[in-house]
Amino acid sequence: MNPAIEVHDLTKYYGSHLAVDHISFEVHPGEVFGFLGPNGAGKSTTQRMLTTLLEPTSGQIIIDGHDLARDSYPAKRVMGLVPEESNIYTELSAWDNLIFTARLYRVPADQRAARARELLEEFGLGEYQAVKVKSFSKGMRRRLSIAMAIIHQPSLLFLDEPVPGLDAQSARAIRSRLRLLKSTGTTIFLTTHDIEEANQLCDRVAIINSGRIAAIDTPEHLKAAFRKVQSVEISVEPSDQVKKDTLSKFNGVTQVIEAGDKWRLYTEDPSSLIPQIIHFCEDRGLRVLHLATLGPSLEDVFLEITGQEIGSIPLEDGDKNKRRGKKGGHK
Amino acid sequence: MKARISWERIRDELAQVWNVAIKDIRVYYLQPPMIMFGLAMPFFLFFSFSVKRDIDAQSGIAQLLAMTVFFMASSAGPVIVPLERRSGTYDRLLAAPMSLASLLIGQTLVGAFFAFVASAVPLLIGVLFLDVTIAHVGFLLGGLLLASLAFSAFGMVFGSIPVQSVGNIMMPSTLIRWPLLFISGIFIPLGEMSPWARILSYISPLTYAQDVINIAVSGTGYLDPWLDLALLMVLIVVFLVPAALLHHRSRVLGY
Repeated sequence: MNPAIEVHDLTKYYGSHLAVDHISFEVHPGEVFGFLGPNGAGKSTTQRMLTTLLEPTSGQIIIDGHDLARDSYPAKRVMGLVPEESNIYTELSAWDNLIFTARLYRVPADQRAARARELLEEFGLGEYQAVKVKSFSKGMRRRLSIAMAIIHQPSLLFLDEPVPGLDAQSARAIRSRLRLLKSTGTTIFLTTHDIEEANQLCDRVAIINSGRIAAIDTPEHLKAAFRKVQSVEISVEPSDQVKKDTLSKFNGVTQVIEAGDKWRLYTEDPSSLIPQIIHFCEDRGLRVLHLATLGPSLEDVFLEITGQEIGSIPLEDGDKNKRRGKKGGHK
Repeated sequence: MKARISWERIRDELAQVWNVAIKDIRVYYLQPPMIMFGLAMPFFLFFSFSVKRDIDAQSGIAQLLAMTVFFMASSAGPVIVPLERRSGTYDRLLAAPMSLASLLIGQTLVGAFFAFVASAVPLLIGVLFLDVTIAHVGFLLGGLLLASLAFSAFGMVFGSIPVQSVGNIMMPSTLIRWPLLFISGIFIPLGEMSPWARILSYISPLTYAQDVINIAVSGTGYLDPWLDLALLMVLIVVFLVPAALLHHRSRVLGY
């Protein structure tokens, strides 16, 4: 079976600026492939070249066995595209947008209406099918944009930042559909900033930085290769008795980050750090509300590879869910 | 090895041309720039240049018809393509399984359709209120149809310039379209022009449209009407070539 995507030595210059630097990779059929990278790393440029929207400076792209440079037509027929900004005709209704896209992808006439109806219901837009899209919320537009991208049942779906910034209902509907597509064998090329999204959905992840592929592997293998960014997370009471400078002085601590009401202490050796923390708390009469060791998250790996400072991506409440705790917290 | 062209592919491409054209007609028929630049401007121009001039109704309607078709058809590309680029919907079309030629032809049909329909306004005014008669209905329909297509393809050249703002395209398009009014036999008939001005007029596509419309409405023109029609037909293809090249340039630049 042909790889869903083959990229050989792909390069893109904008004038003298090298945006994508001789990258090569393969995406297997049925795989969910995450494409991660900081702003300006070359993610969108790569995706635009893969979807024929941008002419590569050099290199080869083969989609489903078809060389894009020679004949993009058969490749385009198997692709679906969900760009970062929902590209919908706002002067048309949701129904008309879907039917137009179905025609564009040559969906047989006797199947268009049934598929459109099914997708509108699935994405919670059934009752708005006759409403012009200009009155839709961002989440509704996003859901419609994805419905439009899959109405022809593509075997390869390109998604650019599908979920960030959406309401919970839209995010849930989209995630649910992506899992369904994955289970039915659709290859998904997911370009995202949302590292946890990639961690949850992707079979493999490529991290691109400064136009070059810095790493490609499964999320778990990538995390295993970066054990040095393990951390210990603590929360104590009274919290104002603990300062960042104090925690930084523990042996083996490489970095300290305040994450809401918790502190995260990065270390290569959590087992030698925990006794220090407990001893410190006992000496000062502090009550330990939470103590857990955390393996490196995909976010840590991403930051390590891309050379960004840990903590430069804001940590939010519930961020602990992005990590795999090795020990449960205790009081 | 080049891709083979099958009948199925040709049928699909024709279906895409139709699909794009119908969608654009539905989406853009009431866009303010289309109304402003396409329909209102020819009337303003006509009245600006005809007030206090002794023009008979036949000639006046022929001028108004040519200007309406010219402005309306050539406004579609510079309005529709940048608007689609800005909203991202153009990517949907470019990524769809169809050739660039199908996309360009589909969009050319849109401008032509708007222009052909808009030409009914001066025509009805002339026939119903000014007792204008049509000398050759066949030349009128053929002339309006081919002129609409040629001017729409002309507009696609501007629409294909790699920018995302209608304003950035309207400026160069206006700078080129307006001077053509004065060298195309609209306000000064070709027969009354100096030889050098007449030579200059032959570079304007509007010249051939005005001439065949003059023949159709008044029965008199300067060139052979069949030559006018043939040249308008050739110009459709001639204008689509730079439009395709500019699209390719956009694909290299990433617009």
